Amino acid sequence: MKGKARRGISLVLAAGLLAGLAGCAGQDDGKTTIELLSYKMEAVDLFNDLAAQFNAENPDLNLVISSPNEAMTILKTRLVRNDPPDMVGLGGDVDFSNLVDADMLMDISDYPGLAQVKESYLEIDKQLELVPADGVFAVPYMANAAGVLYNGELFDRHGWQVPETWSDFMALCQEIQAAGIAPFTFGYKDTWTCLAPWNALAVDLTDTELFSRVSLGEDSFANAYSQVADKQYQLLQYSGNDAFSYGYNDACTAFARGQAAMYPIGSYAIAQIKSVNPDMDIRSFVMPGSDNLEENVLNSGIDLQFVVIKDTQNKEACYRVLEFFQRAENVQRYMDEQTAVSCQEGDFTLSPHLAGMEPYLDAGRLADFPDHHYPSEMGADAMIQTFLINGDKASFLSRFDTNWTRYSRDTIAKQKAYYEALEKEGA
Amino acid sequence: MDSRSKTFLCIIIPIVLLFFIFNTLALIQGFGYSLTNFRGYGSFDFVGLRNYIDLFTDPRVGRSYLFTFGFAVACTILVNIISMLLAMGLTSRIKGKSALRAIYFLPNILGALVIGYVFNFFYTYILPAIGEAIHSGFLSHSLLANPKTAWFALVICVAWQSIAMNTLIYISGLQNVPEDVYEAGAIDGATGFKRFRNITFPLIMPYFTINMVLSMKNYLMVFDQVVSLTGGGPAQSTESISYLIYNNGLKGGAFGFQSANAVVFFLLIVVVSVVQMKILSRREEQL
Repeated sequence: MKGKARRGISLVLAAGLLAGLAGCAGQDDGKTTIELLSYKMEAVDLFNDLAAQFNAENPDLNLVISSPNEAMTILKTRLVRNDPPDMVGLGGDVDFSNLVDADMLMDISDYPGLAQVKESYLEIDKQLELVPADGVFAVPYMANAAGVLYNGELFDRHGWQVPETWSDFMALCQEIQAAGIAPFTFGYKDTWTCLAPWNALAVDLTDTELFSRVSLGEDSFANAYSQVADKQYQLLQYSGNDAFSYGYNDACTAFARGQAAMYPIGSYAIAQIKSVNPDMDIRSFVMPGSDNLEENVLNSGIDLQFVVIKDTQNKEACYRVLEFFQRAENVQRYMDEQTAVSCQEGDFTLSPHLAGMEPYLDAGRLADFPDHHYPSEMGADAMIQTFLINGDKASFLSRFDTNWTRYSRDTIAKQKAYYEALEKEGA
Repeated sequence: MDSRSKTFLCIIIPIVLLFFIFNTLALIQGFGYSLTNFRGYGSFDFVGLRNYIDLFTDPRVGRSYLFTFGFAVACTILVNIISMLLAMGLTSRIKGKSALRAIYFLPNILGALVIGYVFNFFYTYILPAIGEAIHSGFLSHSLLANPKTAWFALVICVAWQSIAMNTLIYISGLQNVPEDVYEAGAIDGATGFKRFRNITFPLIMPYFTINMVLSMKNYLMVFDQVVSLTGGGPAQSTESISYLIYNNGLKGGAFGFQSANAVVFFLLIVVVSVVQMKILSRREEQL
């Protein structure tokens, strides 16, 4: 009897353990729940507010926006579990490319709001597809812009001019140094920050076709990136601090305290800098990577875009959410609160900090972040950091080429098959 | 079967099942993934042994194995010497012994990430300031910024924390050595270092074995401190194997490739532990 009771208890315990694992089921209160997973943790308050507003306007829907830490990792695990959200807000980067490639996203070419999106950003999304796919898979919402942020007050006081060519830029650095001020601050201890100047220089000195040319064996990074590497190494000479000792936050703080005149980083850093020095007169200019004025373009990529997951049952409701986000007042509000650049056509007011980049934005003279095309597992940022530390350009560039071919060989094989099929069709 | 053993079975079977599901099954699954080009989600293809071939030709993986083993050996030696000395000090007749023991155990109850961030601040701001004050060219730059010194900075941080646990194990070993053995040894002229080498050390050999095996295994799997101190940098010089698996496999998309790495790493740790046990336990003495 005693034995039986004990056995019963342990069985109940075991069952309890297993039941606990099964998780909790959803609730149904007559409304359709739309779940949006956003990777923009810093915009969580804004999104909660927008969701509340949307739900008040749409009594039949319940929009839930979650903005967790490491959202992309969470998304990946949920996809593995076959429990995807309805919509995702993510950047225009390699994660997006992989989602398109894995056939996870809905073709939304019938969504009318696409007409409001600037053509250049829709093109950027097209280029992000590993193998050209039929259809449109995302609504670009906000963009960021990277170049050089500078201390407006220091520039005004010394009468320094914003440079337009690489020679001007180098002359300016010498002038600043001669005045006893550090031209730059860097936060290269955080490896990803090595990519900021790299991207901004690379868009001036290379073109977007480079990746498919390399994949098809017609070009090499050793050839294309030689100048980019040289120039980023040159910038390091004008560093005011021990560049590899400090991280991103340290560099933002140093710049905010006026310890350096310029900081080559993206618009996303403005919020961080202002948290240290709210009244700082931050201005920006486009990285003048080339001496040929026409080659210099703004480095701007999609910072936030919305995709609809293919399996969702609520396509029509998702479109209503998209329309709501695309409303002029909501776009403007997001731009103001996040110092973002809009991907939407229309008359929006840009943050004064980004005024220096406005002509390029208006003219559409922009190119996506090259690192959005690098497979993240190849660790391009760490390779650049290694090069900046040891200065060995030849081995850096050859490593770039070998790692690229190794980590994207499945993609390269797919691309080759695609182009071969295309040729056969043509013939 | 009597009811007693039935009860034991009822206790053990659910645990074995849970262990199988979350440990063994995951391990087997990992091996399965290591034969594919799985990204962590979505569709994937079977690629045979390609990941294993890549593993042995990738210099980044090779460097991370070199770093991890060098780090583990350096850390194991440093930690065991210091904690042995500390343990002997803390078992001798000194004032405030219990309080001192508690203080020396403190680092162990702090989280590794917390300690990592504290040390990060120390290396980035405090140490260079001290270095400048004493005009030392070596110390006035952050140890973490130089690929040649970053591993050492990491060793110090990890050792500082793990000395606590090893000391505790040595203390319990030393307390098990009966006083009369020392007295008998003293009559035969075993004092000072001789006493340690011929009496104390052979008698605490089992504890030495445990400490060596545990520390080697722990340091081979170093992760938290790498995340908080260096993020694998500078110049990928402190990328431990666990960190590489996480960074390249989970954050990057090379899940299949790093599954292969994990399988190889698992086998290596098993081999190292078994070899250590075999060599060290042969030298254990019984009273």
